[in-house]
Amino acid sequence: MFGLLTKRLARSLWRSKLRLFAVILMVMVGVFAGISFASYAHTATNMYDDIYADSDEGVNLPDVWIENPSWVWDGETSESICEEIANDWPESDLVLNECEPRLILDGVMFHVNEEGDESIVPAIWHGIDEGYMDRVWIPNDDCCSGVMASAQDEIVIDVRVATGMNLDLGDTISIASGSGSMDYTVVGIGFHSNHLFFAQEGSLFPSEPGTFATGYMTAEGLENLANLSSGSSNHLLIDIEGTPQYDFQSTEDIEGESLSAVIVELNSLMQGIDDNPSLVYTRSGVDSVELLRADAETAMSTYIPVTAMIAIVAGITIFLSLQRLIQSQSREIAILRTLGIPRNAIIPAYIMMPLLIGLVGTFFGIILGKFIGAPYMSSIYEDIIGIPIILEDSDITPLILQISAISMFIVLISGLFPAIQASRLQPLKILRGHHEIRISSKGIQKITSRLPSTVGLTIRSSIRKPTRLAFTFVAVGLSMLIFGSMTLMMGTMENAVLGNVEDNQNWDAQVVVPFGGEIEVNDWAEDRGAIHESLLVFPANAEGDTRYLLTYGLDTISTDKDSMIVIDLKEGVLPSINSEIPQVLIDQGLQHFLDWQIGDKQTLMFGSISLEIEITGITQGEVSRTVYFHRQDLSPVVGIEATSVLLDLPDGVEVDNELGEISLGITQKQDLIETYESLLEQQEGFFASILSLGVIIAIIVLFNTLIINLTERDIEIATLRVLGAPINRIGAMMLGEHIAIGLVGGVLACIFTIIGTQALISSFVQWAFYLTVSLDIYVAMELIGIVLLISVMLTPIGIWRISRMDLVEKVKDLSQ
Amino acid sequence: MSESLLEMKGIERHYVMPSGTVKALDGVNLEISEGERIILLGPSGSGKSTLLNCLSALDTPTEGSYQFAGQMVPRAPEYVPRWWNRVDSLPWYAAFFFRRIVKILFFPLDYFIHSRPMAKASEKATSFRRENIGYVFQFFNLLQDLTVLENILLIQELADGRDEERAKHLLRLVGLENEMNRFPAEISGGQQQRVAIARSLAKKPRLLLGDELTGNLDSKTSDMVMEVLVKACEAEGITCVFVTHDESLTKYATRVVRIDSGQIISDKIIE
Repeated sequence: MFGLLTKRLARSLWRSKLRLFAVILMVMVGVFAGISFASYAHTATNMYDDIYADSDEGVNLPDVWIENPSWVWDGETSESICEEIANDWPESDLVLNECEPRLILDGVMFHVNEEGDESIVPAIWHGIDEGYMDRVWIPNDDCCSGVMASAQDEIVIDVRVATGMNLDLGDTISIASGSGSMDYTVVGIGFHSNHLFFAQEGSLFPSEPGTFATGYMTAEGLENLANLSSGSSNHLLIDIEGTPQYDFQSTEDIEGESLSAVIVELNSLMQGIDDNPSLVYTRSGVDSVELLRADAETAMSTYIPVTAMIAIVAGITIFLSLQRLIQSQSREIAILRTLGIPRNAIIPAYIMMPLLIGLVGTFFGIILGKFIGAPYMSSIYEDIIGIPIILEDSDITPLILQISAISMFIVLISGLFPAIQASRLQPLKILRGHHEIRISSKGIQKITSRLPSTVGLTIRSSIRKPTRLAFTFVAVGLSMLIFGSMTLMMGTMENAVLGNVEDNQNWDAQVVVPFGGEIEVNDWAEDRGAIHESLLVFPANAEGDTRYLLTYGLDTISTDKDSMIVIDLKEGVLPSINSEIPQVLIDQGLQHFLDWQIGDKQTLMFGSISLEIEITGITQGEVSRTVYFHRQDLSPVVGIEATSVLLDLPDGVEVDNELGEISLGITQKQDLIETYESLLEQQEGFFASILSLGVIIAIIVLFNTLIINLTERDIEIATLRVLGAPINRIGAMMLGEHIAIGLVGGVLACIFTIIGTQALISSFVQWAFYLTVSLDIYVAMELIGIVLLISVMLTPIGIWRISRMDLVEKVKDLSQ
Repeated sequence: MSESLLEMKGIERHYVMPSGTVKALDGVNLEISEGERIILLGPSGSGKSTLLNCLSALDTPTEGSYQFAGQMVPRAPEYVPRWWNRVDSLPWYAAFFFRRIVKILFFPLDYFIHSRPMAKASEKATSFRRENIGYVFQFFNLLQDLTVLENILLIQELADGRDEERAKHLLRLVGLENEMNRFPAEISGGQQQRVAIARSLAKKPRLLLGDELTGNLDSKTSDMVMEVLVKACEAEGITCVFVTHDESLTKYATRVVRIDSGQIISDKIIE
């Protein structure tokens, strides 16, 4: 009997093939998207673990960095600090393995492209004698080749530099680091842990190929370039036995208590050793490491909700379709029940169907996800991050099983309620036809009673099934959430990054200078009639908080659109100069994370130096945590006049080699803009796929419900047609209904989007990356417009269906 | 004698079935005059409903002519060409793929030579019904979301002529003036059928058709409904054709036509 009942049900479903395929498609899309995202998350997480591993294949990423942000320690000091650290290592279960001085300097690379155009590219140079830790990673892959630098004039360059500047082994490059230029021969092409995410310092976005360079030479080679004494360093890399857990910036919890305690001890140790402020940080303080970890963490925490969300939308579609099926089969069910078929014999077939639909959808989703989605996501990962995927464990079978289980569970749940509903139908009620009588609420009847009957009928019949309508709106809202959140996120990111540079930065070039080097750059600028302004950027942290922020010392703090850096003041007033307690502006991210408010007096730590500040205003638009000082207030505290010079170049004046040789790096505003534009363009295809996914799902959901609405009203429409109602009038009623559904659905999609995007943003907003999102009126109109358009576009299908209606057959139905 | 309202000559209606061609109507000649009340009697499958469908232009005769008030009645076209049904004689898989391939390949062609003209012709037939025909169904088919009055107003609005006074007048005529603001579910089956009658008269049709309109009612209620119907039709001067199995309804007719195997076997005027 079960077989026959199932066969009967399958035949009924087959009769509404289009809806059946739509539902299968939804399940398939959910599984496909889940596997694609999960594969990305899996790749991202495992890749970094493999690269950072303390093994022969890994680079042995340090556990603690001690940085001298002011300048460098000479060789003797470097060694003695390491010795003191080893001697006074804090009492802890963590055991010191190694302390290695390392020289890492900003600089520039002089590049001439194939067309002969010269450019000065900002760069970071590492002096690495093939040591115990933080080695250069040259994987056995097509991307990379060569060996480590062993001679003073040899260098290993990053893969992105080689591809972006069309360089190969044996080529000679000309570079500088504040003390004139030198030539080096490329002997290797590889990666370094600090630059796996290939972005300029402080930037959250990877650099456009050819606009940023990193290179790894011998320690002696870099000392020569910077004209420093042997053994000089500005970083101490500390390796601890094993890989201790460290504190994440993204959480309030302290994940690595032991390591945090060691950091505190090392901080006070450094206070005693060196008068200059030193920074002591863990892996979370290294931009590339932290960003890639956060990216992997977000991907890991996102793929399950994404899968579940699409599966829920599919589940709702299945639920609504099955409910309609049961409604249309209620007479048959009643007859079966009257003939003595037990209740529990009805249920299995109705559970079997969604499971079958789920299995078919899941099967095709797995095939597409494994063979198209996962490789596509990996290629996107390789394109954006620029790291080849070399995974020891690339088996994603457990993820496929997990995602399949999630979607099958949701599909099963969506079929369970209709199945129970089918088994509980009252045969007598159905055979008397009572179940078919369903009218809108008294309230709605009262409200619409004064309207023309056609309008009243449109409104009443639209909301005759509030549960279905509500579920449809939820499903449309969820599917448009995918579209809306992506659009909002893209807009927010573009605004925060590109908009901020284009609108709020009025300099042409930012020249990083060595200690005291701003005088030479100012002279260069004055010789050429360029306007210049010194900028002091120094890392600090709030007292009692290990997370780093950047303090900016500006010559002019102004909201004037013509100033070099335009401050976007959200609330409060601009700080006064030379106050007893230095007055500052903080960004709204700091306000959010530290709960600092206008008028508060707080303490900032510059290494071992503490400084009380008074907050006079809150700024907005900064992605990183920022405190704005008057440079005159900040400079005496950190002992540096400026770290860079902002230049506004007159027409015809460009940065040249002379400027390159006296600087530690030059960032040109136009390069930054091009980098961001290129990045956004690069991701356009990916975003477009996700946007289309949301719209396709919304189309399927709306299509399903509106077709159900139409089929349910066949008798009504046939009656009206037989009585002579013209098709255009029925079409107008249908259009009115679809417009109403589209408008309500669109507004709900907006609400879902803003709530969903807020949740999404807050899930990956963290100390190093803070964004706020507000509903853009254009995005809102776009959302409402799309849902409205989908809804209205289904009207011709309804009219076509009515025009194809065989009234002779319908009249037979009406008389039976 | 009254003026002729409609005239059918040599009407045939054939259906192509897998088992062969079925002649639902086989050379029917019928002339109906203004003001007649005809009861069309016949056993199941005799062709009486097909004749009713042809009268209302829901269905198109395969052969023969049909004039209404001196004008040719628009012909609702075949929904599927005849050869299309003959495909059924092929093995199921061949028929399945053949139809799909033809539908995909010839979709634009099908639209212009079949779907579009069919929709246009269908609209002409609908317009003919709107202007001339009233229809009462066995199961009333009232719109449950509308009140009794609104059910009548809706038909007027769809025919471009809302006339609330006439709607109320019709309700008075069928004795339901006190129920006009109630919903169909709140009144009895007999009352619902009376609403359906009032609805069918809403646009002052020249011909009222009823298909087993008392088939769902008990004999007492049937009589009451028929009395109301006769009274209303007489008051409005409407010609009626009712299809039924029920011999007892012949007492409300001015003419009884019997049909069997698609042919009229008797046509008797009741004095």
